[in-house]
Parts: sequence; structure tokens; C-alpha cells
Amino acid sequence: MNIRVENLVFSYDDFRLEIGSLVFAESRVTSIVGPNGAGKSTFLKCAASVLPAPRRSLFVDGKDLTVLRGRDRAKLVGYVPQEPSFTFNYAVLDFVLTGRAAFIAAFSSPSARDVALAEDALHYVGLNGRSRRPFLELSSGERRLVLIARALAQEPDILLLDEPTSFLDPRHEVETMALCRRLAEEKRKTVIVTLHNLEMAVRYSDAMVFMKGGRVVASGPPAEILSESLLRDVYDLDMKIVECAGQTFFVK
Amino acid sequence: MSGSATKTPGWLVWAAFVLPVILLVISLNVGPYHIPLREVWTTISHGTPSGPAGAPSPYADILFRIRLPRLLLALFAGAALAVSGASLQALFKNPLVFEFSLGISYGAAFGAALSLVFLGKGFPPQLAAFAFAIMAVLLVLVIAGKSASQIVPILLSGVIVSALFQALLSLVEFFANPYALQSLIFWLMGSLAAAVWGDLALTLPIIALGVVILILLRWRLNVLSLGDEEARALGVNVKWEKILVIGVATLTTAAATSVTGVINWIGLIVPHLVRMMVGPDNRKVIPLSAAFGASLLIVADDIARSAASFEIPIGILTSVVGIPFFIVLLRRSGKTWL
Repeated sequence: MNIRVENLVFSYDDFRLEIGSLVFAESRVTSIVGPNGAGKSTFLKCAASVLPAPRRSLFVDGKDLTVLRGRDRAKLVGYVPQEPSFTFNYAVLDFVLTGRAAFIAAFSSPSARDVALAEDALHYVGLNGRSRRPFLELSSGERRLVLIARALAQEPDILLLDEPTSFLDPRHEVETMALCRRLAEEKRKTVIVTLHNLEMAVRYSDAMVFMKGGRVVASGPPAEILSESLLRDVYDLDMKIVECAGQTFFVK
Repeated sequence: MSGSATKTPGWLVWAAFVLPVILLVISLNVGPYHIPLREVWTTISHGTPSGPAGAPSPYADILFRIRLPRLLLALFAGAALAVSGASLQALFKNPLVFEFSLGISYGAAFGAALSLVFLGKGFPPQLAAFAFAIMAVLLVLVIAGKSASQIVPILLSGVIVSALFQALLSLVEFFANPYALQSLIFWLMGSLAAAVWGDLALTLPIIALGVVILILLRWRLNVLSLGDEEARALGVNVKWEKILVIGVATLTTAAATSVTGVINWIGLIVPHLVRMMVGPDNRKVIPLSAAFGASLLIVADDIARSAASFEIPIGILTSVVGIPFFIVLLRRSGKTWL
């Protein structure tokens, strides 16, 4: 399903997020890039209803996301935070099971089917055999995958991932981005990721959104919108775009 | 219980509920007046508070009028305190939070004392206990403000609020007549001695209801323990469910405290011991806390009644054990919790 943003305005302290009109397409990976403080994470949190977005600012399949009940919204939109703050060191499977919250009544507990879905999600991200391990015993690359597995167990049409590759080594970075592509292509999810690594963004996404100061500067397929002047505008830094071995590199 | 990732099988969790029942039956035998176990059994199996052939039996009188209500109170209060503690720890994602550190204990104690001294014995003290306990939690949350999800600020706010209600309690003591004062002070130290059926008629059903609700919410507490933002993104109505958990946990604690006085640390010790045994999954932690909390308080009361020639106030007993336990946990904070 598409997610459509219309006149989304959200402010706190002296920061103001203002997005006029933007559409994220089904079965596509869209990366949101821009300097720190551009409003990337704030936008994702608004879309995930972690922060309150104003009415009639977010639509999924024509439905106003902001007026839906929590559990109905969570069936449409899944959110993968950067790193959860952890007090209790749950086993990986128990953690992934919390992704089923929207389907399980408050006074009830997960069924065998919920457990099977959580196991499937772990299998899909390549973490079979880890389900009984305590979450904090995993490497940070594996923890990211567990977070993605939880969002998959939630079975949303739209997946929002907040910097899924930060602090990862190059191999895990590539694997995580490849997973995002598989989610879009195999599972037909609308995948939206915020990223700092421009090379990864260009290589793995169908569309890019450049943000700065709470606003969208440019959006569209990378080949159409990328230019050295855009990069200078967004990052206040001169970068050269270099094509090499079929890939795009940015020389600072 | 399907799908829990640690090794403890689900049936074992529910089997643990046999333990407090066994302890209760054994403890019927404990007390200054010796009743042989065989007599305990025949008296219970008769089921009526009168002896064979209608003649009043001294055993039946002691068992049914003195020991049974007291042990039932221990069982229910222990379960109430441990389950509330475990639920609040999950909800605040703070392993050092429990009835005392949220001001609930002394809020409830003040309410109950106020009611007993000024409204008399005829008026149920549970009502005022609950009202002031809720007031204490809200006050703690207001004082802690935005740092309510951090371990130390909420403990500090709890200390402040507890101190306030202890001061107000002293004020009630000041105005109480000397006769009422004596029983008030003994009750405050925490005691199950005052258990009579009349007091239990209201308290036990409230506790039972509260404990059942929290046990039903056991898996939801796993989700809520991830924090407000994540729980909201997962589709949980965080505000309403938080109010529900805090309200029910406070109500059960207040119902227990209004009869037993302040019995601290059960709500801290029991959930931690349970997590050490079975891991952090609240699907196990909450029911096991109920079973072990009930068991622990029955045993503690046995000790309180029989260790010395006089009765040791049980609240003092639990504090002597609980405080060193708390210190050890506090020194570990910052590391990961089971």
C-alpha cells in the first residue's frame, strides 16, 4: 500500500517539521537522507504515531492514519527504532512476539500461531536458532535484525526503519540493506529507511528524499535528482559524484 | 504458556500455586498452642467450627477463628504485594520500583489510619487507603516528571512522598487517643495478628480480583516494559493500559495494607528471585510472584509467631531481610537486569 503525506506539520521546542506532499510507493525502498537534525527521525516517528501527527496529514490506502485506533494502525505501519533501551533482557523470541501486540487482546497471551509467525520472521531475517538466546547476548548487527523481525511479525504493509545501518560494519550494513530490498520485492512492503550513508542509499533504494531543516529539498529516483549542487545545498559541503564499477560514490 | 523461550515448562508455573496451599495447611499447626497435625486434619475435614457431636472444640476455635483468617490474610497479602511489585517493575521498566518506592505503602497506611481514627472501625479503611495510595503515586509521577522512566529520579520522588505521608501519619498518631494509638502503632509496623473474618470480607475479594487482573495482563506487561514509544508503535493504547495497571496494582496493595499495616520489601524481593529462576518473561514472572509471594509471607508469619516468646512485627522482619537485598540490587543497577 502507498503511504501519502499531506501538509504534515509538527513542532517541538524550536524545531519545525513541515512536509507539503509526499508519496511512498508499494514494493519500493525509499531512503530519507539529510544532515543531523533535518527531521528524518521525527518524520518516521510521526508516521509511526510515536509522536502525534496532526489529523489528515498521513493517509494509507486513502485511510486517515492519524484517527485510527492504535491496534488498527499498527497492522498497517511497523516501526523499527534505532536501538531499544533495555531494562529486561528478554529472550529473542519473547521480544519478537511483542510485535504481535496489535493482534492480541490486552488480557490475553500469544497463541501457537503468534509464536509460529514470530519464528517465521526470525527465520526470514536469517536468525534461525537464536530464538532462545537473551537479546543482549547478540551482536549489534543481530540486534538490528531482531528489531526488523519484530516489525515483520507485526505484518504491516509499511515498514519504517530508523537508521537501520548505523554503527554496523560494512558486511552487516550491506546485509541489512539487502534485507530491505527483499522486503520490498518479495513481501511487497513499502519500505522507508533513514540513512546517513549516501552510497548505500543510492545503491539500494528506488527513490530518495533529501531533507534539511525540517523540509523536503528534493525527492524522486536517485538517477533523476542527484546532483552536486543538491548535495552542497543539503549538506553545506562540496562533494563530487563519481561513477565507478557501476556504482555511485561520493568524494568529500 | 506456549512460546516462552526459557526452559521452565508452563505447567510448572501453575503447579507452583500448590506450594502456598501446602504451606498454609502446615502452618495451621504453628503457634503457641500446640495442636497435633492429626487433630488439625480431623478438624478441617469436619469443616465446621464446632467439634464432634456438636460440642465446641477448642481446636476448631483456634483453627477457624484465629489461625485460618490470619494465614489466609498472609496468603492473599503476600500474593498482592509481590504481584503489584512485579507489575509495577515491568510497567516503569525499573526493577527497583515497588509499593514502597512509589509511596503506595505509606499513602495507603495514612489513609487507613485516618479512617480508623476519625471514622471508626465501622467504616471500611480500604476506601481511604486506596484514595491516598493513588494520590501518592500521582504525586510521585508529578515530581519525577519527564524523568519518570529513569531509575533514580523516581526512587527519589518516592522517598519524598513516603516521607510526606509518614509525617502525616505521625500527625494522625498525635491526635489519636492513647488506646487507639497503641493498636495503631502495632498495626503500622505490619502485623497479621489483627486478622478477623470481618476485616477480610472486603479485603480478600479485592485482592483476588486485582491479582487475577494482573495475571491476565502478564504478557501485555512484556510489551509495556519496552517503554511508551515502542509500545505505542506496536499498537498498544499506552495511556489507558498504564492507568489500568497502576490503578489495579495500587488497589490490591491498598486493600492488603489497610488490614496488615506496612509490610515492605515483599514486592521487591519476590519478583527478583523469580526472575533469577525463570528469566524476565512476565508470563512466568507474574503468576510465580503470586505463588511465591503468598508462600513467603506465610513462612515469614510463622517465623514472626514462633521465633521469640513475643510476636515480632512482620513488617520489621521483612525489612531486615529486604533492605540488604535492595542495597545489592541498587549496586548492580546500570548493568543488565535478568
